[in-house]
Amino acid sequence: MVKKRSVLTPTLIAIVGFLTVCPIVMLVLGSFSTGLGAFGEFTLEKYILGYADPELAGIILNTIIFVLGSSLVATGLALLLAYLNTRTDIPFKFLFRIISIIPMMIPHILFSVSWVLLLNPSNGLINLLLRQIPGLEDLAINIYSLPGMILVEGLLDLPIAYLILAPAMASFDIALEESSKVCGGKTWRTLLRVTLPVLRPAILAAFILSLVRSLASFAVPSVIGMPGRIYVLATHIYQSIASGFAADFGKAAAIGMSVLATSVALIYIYRYLTAESEKFVTISSRGYRPTVIELKGAKYPLFSIVGILSMVLIVLPVLVLFYTSLVPYTMIPSARAFSMMSWKHWIEVINDPISLLSLKNSVFLGVVGATLGVALSVFVAYVIVKIRSYASGILESLSFLSFSFPGIVIGVGFMWFFVRTPLYATIWALLIGYIATYLPYGVRPLTSAFIQVHSHLEESSLVCGAGAFTTMRRIVIPLLIPGIVSGWILMATMFVRELTLSVVLSRPGTEVLAVQIFRFSEDGLWGQLSALGIIMIVISTALVLLATLVGVKFKPVEEE
Amino acid sequence: MEIKIKNLRKHYYTGGKTIKALDNVSLSIPANQIFTLLGPSGCGKTTLLRCIVGLEAPDSGEIEIGGEVVLSTEKNIFVPTENRGLGMVFQTYAIWPHMNVFNNVAYPLQTRKVRKDVIRSKVAKTLDFVQLTGFENRPATKLSGGQQQRVALARALVAEPKVILFDEPLSNLDAKLREETRKDLRDFLTKLQITAVYVTHDRIEALSLSDIVAVMNQGQIVETGEPRNIYLNSTHRFVADFIGRTNLIEATVISQEEAVTMVDCAIGSLACRKRSDMQPGDKATLCLRPEFIRLKGGDAGEAQNVFNGRIESLVFIGEAFEGEIRIHDSQLFIKTEPDSDIKVGDSANFTVDPDHCLLVTR
Repeated sequence: MVKKRSVLTPTLIAIVGFLTVCPIVMLVLGSFSTGLGAFGEFTLEKYILGYADPELAGIILNTIIFVLGSSLVATGLALLLAYLNTRTDIPFKFLFRIISIIPMMIPHILFSVSWVLLLNPSNGLINLLLRQIPGLEDLAINIYSLPGMILVEGLLDLPIAYLILAPAMASFDIALEESSKVCGGKTWRTLLRVTLPVLRPAILAAFILSLVRSLASFAVPSVIGMPGRIYVLATHIYQSIASGFAADFGKAAAIGMSVLATSVALIYIYRYLTAESEKFVTISSRGYRPTVIELKGAKYPLFSIVGILSMVLIVLPVLVLFYTSLVPYTMIPSARAFSMMSWKHWIEVINDPISLLSLKNSVFLGVVGATLGVALSVFVAYVIVKIRSYASGILESLSFLSFSFPGIVIGVGFMWFFVRTPLYATIWALLIGYIATYLPYGVRPLTSAFIQVHSHLEESSLVCGAGAFTTMRRIVIPLLIPGIVSGWILMATMFVRELTLSVVLSRPGTEVLAVQIFRFSEDGLWGQLSALGIIMIVISTALVLLATLVGVKFKPVEEE
Repeated sequence: MEIKIKNLRKHYYTGGKTIKALDNVSLSIPANQIFTLLGPSGCGKTTLLRCIVGLEAPDSGEIEIGGEVVLSTEKNIFVPTENRGLGMVFQTYAIWPHMNVFNNVAYPLQTRKVRKDVIRSKVAKTLDFVQLTGFENRPATKLSGGQQQRVALARALVAEPKVILFDEPLSNLDAKLREETRKDLRDFLTKLQITAVYVTHDRIEALSLSDIVAVMNQGQIVETGEPRNIYLNSTHRFVADFIGRTNLIEATVISQEEAVTMVDCAIGSLACRKRSDMQPGDKATLCLRPEFIRLKGGDAGEAQNVFNGRIESLVFIGEAFEGEIRIHDSQLFIKTEPDSDIKVGDSANFTVDPDHCLLVTR
């Protein structure tokens, strides 16, 4: 047993180290090379080319405005929602939770596209509707703008900020506020002088994570920014590798270096802050448990209201997409529109070989990728939690590193690597890239699952006469199932919707859903896009349901 | 069943230092007795227990349970935990949260491939024994601390193990429940006639629960004996101090009399319980338990073991007075009858029976 462990940790360090360090090393080497073909000859040419670009200053300014703006929107909204939900007696609290979680269910690119369909200046549905009002005939609310990008990205980052802030608020020790009130502080004063300062680490952590996410974001800058000629660093990098024959991976790597460095620095601050805020929480949560109020008779009416509202909120973007997929061109809903509806776009998509291929590839990547990713995560989490050594600390840092990876930059790094291997332009390149980039999403839930499996639980099984295998089958695995299922769901849905990494690594033959949808949006084929988008949502939902069903089948509580 | 332990040694290396968790421990645990390993945290008691059950492998030594050698580094024998046929109650209870009470208790039988109807009746019998009948289908997570403790006990007992081991099983219960459970546990184990090895750092638990107590310190067993004997007649300073409240005074042996050993110390010269192994001039520690320092009415005279002291502090705690007295430069704890007519500042005569003046070494 001892021998097995001593092999396990170095093996995992090698695998995870390869996955996370390799793209960075290749990115660095690549940035000092003249091109994919001329690798290894040291040159600063690409840095000079990239950073002497007169357009770069404007792009960086856009990036700063976009990233800060959307993070402010996300954190501000999340703070408001979390406060109302956990700390006031506002009714229908569930609603707040659901509203803040919704944007997670819909792939970012589809969420962005649905806003384009609603608010593009020429024929956005809302613009068309508003123009029917006398006096507003020339109205054109333009989503293709920095404020538009900030709004949509802010909404997309809202859930992640909420998920950090809500638990911090919930475990906030009410006595801190009460003592302020006893000292004569008014509600507002208490909020400003006590509540917010105590929550500052959590608020900053949420803000910084939003910064990282919007810096890495590609869906919004590409679907909403590029048509309005508003470029940020992510789209700038994309441009330098996507311009057909003149693709310049060296320049992309050189600019990517600063994005990566910023992101790693931000994540470092984030880790420091979460460690801080966890400290706060453990101190303050002692003995304090918010009581759960029984709803009794109001339970079902309340539940149905919440259900209906949340349905409307999930369904609206989906509805826009579904509607668009049925009408021949963009028009406001009317009798004429309904009479012209047809399955034309759906049939086109189903008969489009590239769409079908992307569908097949994405499902494969979702299922196989998530399974392999979770399998790796199980071992990594095991070593991190159960073998507390210096080496397992290295593994933990390595596996967390990719949390800071901006997909497009790391894609460029992987490109430098894969081009030198037979994996280039195969689906396996995407698979490896996905697992490397999204490993923390599998390791996180499994780490908490392993923490719950106290070593006494295994040991008492041994004392009861069960061998190692039986202990694994009857004790360890059942206790890990919830972690495995949630890790798998997270990874599978991330993989099916993956855009930023795929947009770099995907080659003819390895198209994936999000990239295909991105191509449709570049070509303005909104009908086909919507049809494929709906299929994408259906697949994601099906995977979640499938995983949940499997989880229920092996459900933790055994019956006699 | 009897357990024999020979020359068990286990060292840990942390931060460049060697910690001797077990320092050449030899021990014999008689059959059908409740045997307690008592000691401060880090003394090696839990390591010893885990070596017996097989969750830890010692560096060297031999363990024999009921005549079967389960571990011998010399003969290269290591019977894995699951084949030792023991029962154990963990400090955390280690109740499996994903199973109900029935499956938790039935588990040892299921792993032994016992027939289903036999399992059912045995589980029912065991649950009845620990007074948990009717809890079969209760999820393990929906149990109170005391109930979890009894499920853990039932699980340890159900397969009729050769030996049952307890690793501080009461330390997670609150004070009142701990007292009740201690009594229940004593009843259960007495009824069962089973060899039990019990690890604790709580002296009251050890004294009230065990047939035999072994006091451990720094990886070694310092003293072994019946609870009363350990308390009233300890021979080691560490044991005397650990097992109960006591006054420790440095003393020098003056002479050996027929029935007593005479010593000289800060409070005068005293007749002590006979230690024939000591020579005049030897250094020893005098151990005086507060409850044996008694008030003596009347005149001191020339009586043996009487000394005059001033009462420095006094607290009435209901069943007794607890206080401190000063004799010359020494301060002693005393515990005396609640109806004594004394108050702070009084001078009084105190006496100690030579039998309760213990001379301890090291």
